[in-house]
Amino acid sequence: MSRILLVEDNEMNRDMLSRRLMREGYEVIIAVDGQQGMSMAQSEAPDLILMDMSLPVIDGWEVTRFLKAADATKEIPVIALTAHAMSTDRDKAMEAGCDDYDTKPIEFSRLLEKMEALLGTSGERASAGGKTS
Amino acid sequence: MNPEPFVDDIESYAQDIVDTVREPLLMLDTNLRVQSANRAFYETFQVSPAETENQLIYQLGNGQWDIPGLKTLLEEIIPTSSVFNDFELEHSFPIIGRRVMLLNGRKLRAGSHSAIIVLAMEDVTERRRSEADLRAIETYAQDIVDTVREPLLILDTTLRVQSGNRAFYQTFKVSPSETENHLIYELGNGQWDIPALRTLLEDIVPTSSVFNDFELVHDFPELGRRVMLLNARKLQAGHHGELVVLAMEDVTERRRAEEEVAKAKEASEIANKTKSLFLANMSHELRTPLNAIVGYSEMLQEEAAEQNLDSFTDDLRKITMSGKHLLALINDILDLSKIEAGKMELFLENFELDTLIEDVATTIQPLVEKNSNSLHIELAPDLGRMRADQVKVRQALFNLLSNAAKFTHEGSVVLTGARERMDGSDWVVFRVADTGIGLSADKIVRLFQDFTQADASTTRKFGGTGLGLALTRRFCQMMGGDVTVRSTPGKGSTFTIKLPAIVTDSAKSEFVNPVVSDSNDVVVANDRSTDPPTLPGTCVLVIDDDSAQRDLMRRFLSKEGFTVRSASSGAEGLRLARVLLPIAITLDVMMPEMDGWAVLDALKSDPVLCDIPVIMLTMVDDSGRGFTLGAADYVTKPVNRRRMTRILKRYSCANPPCPILVVDDDSATRASMRRMLEKSGCRVTEAENGEMALKSMEQERPSLIFLDLVMPMMDGFTFADRARLHPEWRSVPIVVVTAHDLTGDERRRLNGCVESILHTSGCSRDELLHQVRDALDNYSIPHEATAPHEATA
Repeated sequence: MSRILLVEDNEMNRDMLSRRLMREGYEVIIAVDGQQGMSMAQSEAPDLILMDMSLPVIDGWEVTRFLKAADATKEIPVIALTAHAMSTDRDKAMEAGCDDYDTKPIEFSRLLEKMEALLGTSGERASAGGKTS
Repeated sequence: MNPEPFVDDIESYAQDIVDTVREPLLMLDTNLRVQSANRAFYETFQVSPAETENQLIYQLGNGQWDIPGLKTLLEEIIPTSSVFNDFELEHSFPIIGRRVMLLNGRKLRAGSHSAIIVLAMEDVTERRRSEADLRAIETYAQDIVDTVREPLLILDTTLRVQSGNRAFYQTFKVSPSETENHLIYELGNGQWDIPALRTLLEDIVPTSSVFNDFELVHDFPELGRRVMLLNARKLQAGHHGELVVLAMEDVTERRRAEEEVAKAKEASEIANKTKSLFLANMSHELRTPLNAIVGYSEMLQEEAAEQNLDSFTDDLRKITMSGKHLLALINDILDLSKIEAGKMELFLENFELDTLIEDVATTIQPLVEKNSNSLHIELAPDLGRMRADQVKVRQALFNLLSNAAKFTHEGSVVLTGARERMDGSDWVVFRVADTGIGLSADKIVRLFQDFTQADASTTRKFGGTGLGLALTRRFCQMMGGDVTVRSTPGKGSTFTIKLPAIVTDSAKSEFVNPVVSDSNDVVVANDRSTDPPTLPGTCVLVIDDDSAQRDLMRRFLSKEGFTVRSASSGAEGLRLARVLLPIAITLDVMMPEMDGWAVLDALKSDPVLCDIPVIMLTMVDDSGRGFTLGAADYVTKPVNRRRMTRILKRYSCANPPCPILVVDDDSATRASMRRMLEKSGCRVTEAENGEMALKSMEQERPSLIFLDLVMPMMDGFTFADRARLHPEWRSVPIVVVTAHDLTGDERRRLNGCVESILHTSGCSRDELLHQVRDALDNYSIPHEATAPHEATA
């Protein structure tokens, strides 16, 4: 079961996304700002990070740059989630070191495809995604 | 001794003298009969001695001398006085025409002879005529002076007023008597005693014969605060000596109007920024709750499906759909405001057209079926791939298809895709044809306008914001294509999208209004022949935050045969530079956020961009004054050796050791540059400021100058300016050395220098444009002198 770190300051977005991900069989841990996201990425060793970019305390770009520069965390795939759909936003996220990028509102199935591609676990969801609860 | 011959001698001697005189002379006796005349008389009046001598003067030449004035003279003045001088007589002589004669008379007694009257006649006709002409010219000049609506003062060199024109007296409410012969400073109780005017008249006028457009602001007691534009000419005015003509144009109103325009412009810019900001914030505020609505309803749908609560799923789906629709509308509004603000960008990628169209068709299928329509897709077998902004192409197609589906009932919608070759390049053409309600000509004209549907009733019947087509059109135009429509009411419409198969980032075309061809068959077209594609080797990139300056530069450079692309900020400029690789860049020094120096640094630190020539310039919009920094190239400190070698290759003379001048106030920098240059075989002269550099150049003309900008005594800007004025130095390339990562203080000093140049010796808009053109001319010409040099290196 993959462990996903969701870094998101908006409570409803966090709630929706975490619940939908859990229903798909992922273990979801949550950080509400960049600072917390940074320390949880180091302490919790997640398999993938979903990173909102406009975050309080430390923004998502900076967190990503930091994580990608540190040996311990640089292998963790990061998917940037932004509210903007401009190509510069995408470029900006990629420059910061993000592995992929998606825009809000989240198209859930598209996001799942991107996550699976990065986790290399297209089979995992099928097996772990069964109704466990 | 016989006295008679002696007398005869004297008489003939006198006759000789008389004949030599070039003035006509008549000798009369006291009865006014002609005793004799001289040769000049006979010649002038074309008569012979025979018909003259012993005749009464009035009878001469058939009475042509019977002149009332002459009669008075001879009969009233001569008897009482023996002399009369300069009696002017104007008369029409039958043979020689109208003449003005100046008569002088003497009564003489010559020895034994009885008294004779000598009448000398000087013909002053010509003289009088030229005098009259001269008077006419003077009056004419005075009339002109008085007609001029600008106040004029004529001063002598002691600055005393010779005269003023009517406009002067009227404007300044003074009379000629209190003005003429007064010192200018005394006029109107000393209200003209203005320090700036003193400087002008006492320092500038004595040394130069002309000054133009000297602006003077002064509180006049009678008129209040005025802005005057003074122009003066020094002229030589014959016996008047040297005069100064001072023309005073009252530009108070003009300046006030200019200020108001500037203020209004600023206000509208602020309003526009506020609007954009508002839209951006608003759309964010609207999207956040909508995201929750869409997200939670989707989630509930999933849960309901899992728990087999079918009665809920349908309602939940409606909530989701409506939320998504509302979100799409908000996105459209945001897109449109982005396009308007020039902030919409293209994200270009290569993609398969088949896949894209299949995708769009799947998405649109439910909408097509809703009105019982059928969708047919016809794709050419060679459709292949295109390079464009996939999201925008998809959105454009989706908009056209959803319109077709919306306005057609129980009919068909046909989407075709094909490649076409036009004007030597590949185009992708999509057509969406429907059998729907169609459009009339007047509706088509409004079709592509923002927020406009064919009519208000359409909105009620079919919904929508009316933004779809406007956006579609803007997207197509951004990608260098366009959308056109043909329609017949009641029969259907065909929309055609044409896009370049390979879209480039600079392909944006201007917005062109629809062209109506005939009543029901209307083509909306964009005449692209006026917007040539970017030709390699002609593209100049203009980076300037001021749209008016961008426009000015664009028009000027286009006329000069360059293809012009522009960027409104440093960041956008850098991005475009990487895409376009222009042959040259014009760069505004003064820009908000990322200023010209920062852009310059970024350009020169980028290995791909560092060789593109940059023209640094700036212009103050309201005064039209500007400057170009006349540099051939730029390097950043500390100087990179590789770049230095390239610069030397490009600019140094063909026969080393080349004399090179390094101008920098920092001795350490000078020393390190010297070492580097000497290693490359150059001979180096150093100067620690602009003044010393100019002195050094008088000793020897260098083949290349490395110039620091911020220096004491004379800064680099002033130096470059001076060097440009000197005919022999103008062609010496200047490489400006700027600091990498300028500090705030350095930046303030640089921009301070630019501002002081603008104020002291900034050039006019026309001069600036010509300097830009000259610089571009220099760049586009291959450097013949260095070409063989480079080949051997």
